[in-house]
Amino acid sequence: MHPQHSSYPFRRPSGRFTVSFCGNRITSTNAAKLVKNRRWPRTHFLNSVSVLAATALLGAFTAHAKDHVDLQFWDMIWGPPEYIDTGKALVAQFNQEHPDITVTYRSVPWNNWYQTFLTAIGSGTAPDVSTGAGYQAVQLYDQGAILPIDDVIGQWKTDGKLDDFLPKTIDTLKYDNHYVALPWAIDIRVWYYRKDLFEQAHLQPPTSWQELKTVAQALTKADKDQYGLVACGDTLGSHYLYTLILNNGGGLFTKDRKIDLGSDRNLEALQFLSELVQNHNVYPASAGYHDDDEVSAFSQGKGAITLHAPGLAGRLPKIRDKIGLLKPLTGPHGEQGTIFWVNNIMLYKQSKHPAEAKIFLQWWSEHEKDLWTKGHVTQLPVRKSFAADPYLQDNPETAFILSNYVPVGKNTATHATEIFPKLNDVEGEGVMQTLVQNLLQGKDVNASVKEASDRLKSIMTD
Amino acid sequence: MPRAAIQSSQRVAPTLLVRGLPIERLPYLLLLPSLTLICLIELYPFLSGVSYSLHKGTLLSTGNFVALDNYVRLFNSPDFYNSLSFSFFFALFNVVFSYLIGLGLALFLNLDFPGRGLCRVLLLIPWIVPAVVSIVSWKWLIADRGGLVNIILATFGLGPIYFLSQSGWAMVAVIVIKIWRSFPFMMLSLLAQLQVIDRTLYEAGKLDGASHWQLFWHITLPHLKNISIVQAILMVIWSINDFETPFLLTQGGPSNATENLILLSYRYTFGRNDIGRGSAVAILTLVLLVVLATLMLHQQRKIA
Amino acid sequence: MKFNFKWLLLLVGLAVVFIVDFPILTVILNSFRTTDSILSSRNILPDQPTLTNYFYINTRTHFWTFLLNSGIVALASTALGTGLAALAGFAMSRFRLRVLGIYNQALLIVQMFPLILAIIPLFVMFRRLDLVNNFVPVILVYTVTQLPFATWMLRSYFDSVPKELDEAARVDGCSRLRGFVQIVLPLSTPGIAAVAIFSFLFSYNEFFISSVFLRDENRMTMPVGIQSFMQQYSTDWGGLMASAALAMVPTLILFLFIQKYMISGATAGAVKG
Repeated sequence: MHPQHSSYPFRRPSGRFTVSFCGNRITSTNAAKLVKNRRWPRTHFLNSVSVLAATALLGAFTAHAKDHVDLQFWDMIWGPPEYIDTGKALVAQFNQEHPDITVTYRSVPWNNWYQTFLTAIGSGTAPDVSTGAGYQAVQLYDQGAILPIDDVIGQWKTDGKLDDFLPKTIDTLKYDNHYVALPWAIDIRVWYYRKDLFEQAHLQPPTSWQELKTVAQALTKADKDQYGLVACGDTLGSHYLYTLILNNGGGLFTKDRKIDLGSDRNLEALQFLSELVQNHNVYPASAGYHDDDEVSAFSQGKGAITLHAPGLAGRLPKIRDKIGLLKPLTGPHGEQGTIFWVNNIMLYKQSKHPAEAKIFLQWWSEHEKDLWTKGHVTQLPVRKSFAADPYLQDNPETAFILSNYVPVGKNTATHATEIFPKLNDVEGEGVMQTLVQNLLQGKDVNASVKEASDRLKSIMTD
Repeated sequence: MPRAAIQSSQRVAPTLLVRGLPIERLPYLLLLPSLTLICLIELYPFLSGVSYSLHKGTLLSTGNFVALDNYVRLFNSPDFYNSLSFSFFFALFNVVFSYLIGLGLALFLNLDFPGRGLCRVLLLIPWIVPAVVSIVSWKWLIADRGGLVNIILATFGLGPIYFLSQSGWAMVAVIVIKIWRSFPFMMLSLLAQLQVIDRTLYEAGKLDGASHWQLFWHITLPHLKNISIVQAILMVIWSINDFETPFLLTQGGPSNATENLILLSYRYTFGRNDIGRGSAVAILTLVLLVVLATLMLHQQRKIA
Repeated sequence: MKFNFKWLLLLVGLAVVFIVDFPILTVILNSFRTTDSILSSRNILPDQPTLTNYFYINTRTHFWTFLLNSGIVALASTALGTGLAALAGFAMSRFRLRVLGIYNQALLIVQMFPLILAIIPLFVMFRRLDLVNNFVPVILVYTVTQLPFATWMLRSYFDSVPKELDEAARVDGCSRLRGFVQIVLPLSTPGIAAVAIFSFLFSYNEFFISSVFLRDENRMTMPVGIQSFMQQYSTDWGGLMASAALAMVPTLILFLFIQKYMISGATAGAVKG
C-alpha cells in the first residue's frame, strides 16, 4: 500500500528561509581530510574472501558424498499438530527400511496451496511426490506436471491389491485414460445435530428434507438467539450447496461437462435452502461466518443442525456427548447423496527418480494407517483394511460416516463421467461462495442462480 | 573560473560535452539507481501487464494472443461494473467524510488550549497503526450480537445488525473503517495550513464586524483550497488502490459487495488463474486513476 | 472565564480522542482477557487481567518469526530506499534540468500506480527465478513504493540547506558529490532520520505485497501472519487481540519518534514559497 503522508509534488518549497544548525561548520578541507583517512582494512577483506571460498568448496564436496537417491515428499496438513510428527516418523521408518533412498518430508499449509505448487512447478523445483486436494492431480496433469501411475495400478490389479480400496476411489482419479494419482483419504460433508436441544424440544432427528424443515422451524427461538440451523459463507458454506444439490440427485454439470446449475433438481435443492432462510430458521449472521465461527456458534447452541467435515465432536470435546450425526437425508425424490472428495497422492514429471518415487508412493499408501491411529487425521481412509482398524471402528462417528455417508458420496463433477481440471477453478474462484452468501442473505434464488451460472460458464469456457 | 590547486586525493567530476556545452554527468548518475529500480519494478511490469491483458494466459503459461477480447468480456461482465461502482462510492464517501472530519478536527485543534499537542498526536493513531490491527479492532466491535455497536443499538431498542453478513451493511462498515483510517491525514495537512494563515487577517475581519461564519468562508477556506484539492487527489488515488481494508475485513464479500477493482483483479489472477483478465482490470484501474488525477489537477490549476 | 473555557476545550479534545481511539484501546484492553471473558464481559476494563493470550501466541504461533521477518524486510527496504531517494532528492534539489522534471512526473505515476498491475508480472517473473517466499522481491517493491515520498521529502529537506554551502565547497575544490556527502547530508540528518523512520513504518505496516510473495509460514511478515491467524482461528479473540496489541508496539514507538517530524513536515510544506 502506498504510504499515506503529506507530500507536495505540486508545489516546491523554495528553501529561502535560513536555518542554522548547531554551530558546527564543516569546511571542505576538513571533509577532504576525513576521506583521506578512511582506508580499506585489506587484511580483513582477504580473510573473509578465503573463508567464503573454503566454505563453498566444502559445500560442493559434501553434496556429492552421498551415493543414493534423494526424494522430496510434500504433504499437506491433514490433521492436528501430531499429524506432522507422525508423518515425519513414518518417513523416517521408510528411510530406515530403504537404505538407498532418503525421503525428505515437508509439511505444506493449505493457505494458497495452489500457488505453492504452481510456483514450484514453474521454477523447476517441484517435489517428487506430494499429497493434495481432490482435483489437484487432474489439474496439474493438464498443465503437464504429473507423472501418471498406470504401471503401479496395473501391477496392483494383477496382485489383487486393488481390492483393499473402497469401490470407485481408484477409478475416480482416472483422467484422459490415465491414472493420475492414488487415492488415500476421503473428505466428506455430513450433518450434525445437537442431541440436547432436540431432547429439550421433544423432537426426533429428521430423516428427510420435509422433516428437516419442520424441526428447524420448531427449534427456532429467535429471542433466545437459537435457530434451527447455523451455516457459514466461506468455502464450507459452498459445500452446503453441493451437498443439497447432490442429495437431490442434481449436479453442477451435464454428462458432457456443460454447466447445468439451473436444472430442476438443482433449483429445487437451492430453493430448499432459501426457504429455510426465508422462514428465519437459519442463524442470520451465517452469510458472514467462517468455518470456525460456525463451529463456535454450533457449540453455543445458536444452531441445532449444521453441516461439517468429519471430526466435529473431536473439535468440541466439551460437548462431545451432545453432538449426534443425522443419517443422510432423503430428498423429495427419495434420493440420498452428499459431497465428497477423494484426496490424492501424486507423482511429478520433474522427478529425477521416478522409479524410486513409485516405490515410496506404494509404501506410503500401504503403511499410512499411522496417520489415523497416531496422527488423528479426521478424513476417512480409502482402504478397507485401515477402516477395519479398531481406532476407526471404535469411533462411532467414523464408523457411522463410513457406513452411511461414504456409499452415497458424489463429487462435484457430477453428472460428468470423470473429474477434470477446471473443477479446481470452479471451487477456488469463489462463485459458489457468492451463491451461498446470496441465499443466506435471503436473495432471490433465480436471480442468484442466473448470476452464478453465467459466472460458472465464464470460468469453464474463458 | 580559475580552478584552485587540486590535491591528489580529490577528483574533478568529468564533464561531457554536448553541442559544445559542458554537461555534468552527476545528476544523471544520481538518478540512475532509482530510475533503474523503477523501470524494473514498475515499467517492466506495466509493459508486461499490457501484454498479458492482450493474451489469455495463466500463471504458468503466457497463452494465446486475443487482442482486446479480455477487455470486451470485462465490459460485458457484471462483476466489473459491480467493482467499479463500489470503488467509486468507496472513494467518494472516503474523501468527502474524511475531509469533513479532518477539517472539523483541524479547526478544533487550531484553537489554543492546553494539551492540544497531545490531542493532535493521539488523533493520528488511526492512520499510523497497521491495517490488520485496525481491522481486528473494528471486527470485534461490529461482529455478531455481542459486539459493542450492537450492544449500543440494543439499548436504543434497535435490532442486531450483522454487519459482515449483509451486503449493504458490509459496504457501510468497510467505508466507515476507511474514513476512520484516513481522516488523520486530512486533519494534519489542513491543520498545518491553518496554522500559517496570518492571524492579522482575522483581526482585521473582526474589526470590520464579520461573523465567525464569514471569517471562515472568506478567509479560512480560500487558504485551504489548494491544499484541499491536492489532498483530495491523493486520497482518491489511495482509496481506489486500497486492497487491504476490504480484503482484510470481508475478503470482498458477502456476495462480492465489497469487491473493488483491485480485489476483482486479485480474484481473476489468483482465484481463476486468469492473468489476462486480471491484468486488464488493473490497466483499466490505472487509466481511471490517470484520468481522475488529470481532471482534478485541471481543477486545481483553474483555482490556483 | 477564558481559563475555564480552555480547560473545557481540553476536555472536549480528550473526549474526541477517546472516541476516535476507542477501537485501538479495546484491542489493548482485550489482550489481557481470555476469549470467554471478551465475549461475555460488559466492562471496558478487564475484570481479571491475565497474560494467557501472550503466552499462547508466544508458544503456539510463529509470532516472533513474523516480527523478525517484518523487521528484516522493512530495514532493508528503508536503507535502500532512503539511500536512493537521497541521491535522487539531491539531484532534484540542486539541479534544474528537464530530465528532473520528467523524473518528477515519473514519481507521480509511481505514486498512483495500482500495485496489482505490478504484482502479476512480478509474481510470474520472480516465480520463474524461484524467488517466491524470498525477501528480495518484497524489499525491492517496498523500496520503489517508498521512493516518491522519500524523494520529495528529502528534496525539501535538502532545499532547506542553503546552496551557498555547496558553492563554498566547490570553490574549495570539492566535487559536487563530495559536497553532498560531506556537507548537505550531515546537515539533513534529522530529515533523513524522519524519512527513514517513515519508510520503516509503512513497510512494516504493509500487507498486500507481503501476502502475495511471502506465503511460507516461516517467511510471513507480521500483518500477513495476523491475517492468517484471523482467517484460521476466527473465534480465538484472545490470541488475535494479543497479536494485534504486540504488533502495534513497534508502530507506536516509531510513531513517538517521528510525530513531531510529521507535523513539522506538514508545516514546512505549507509554507508558501
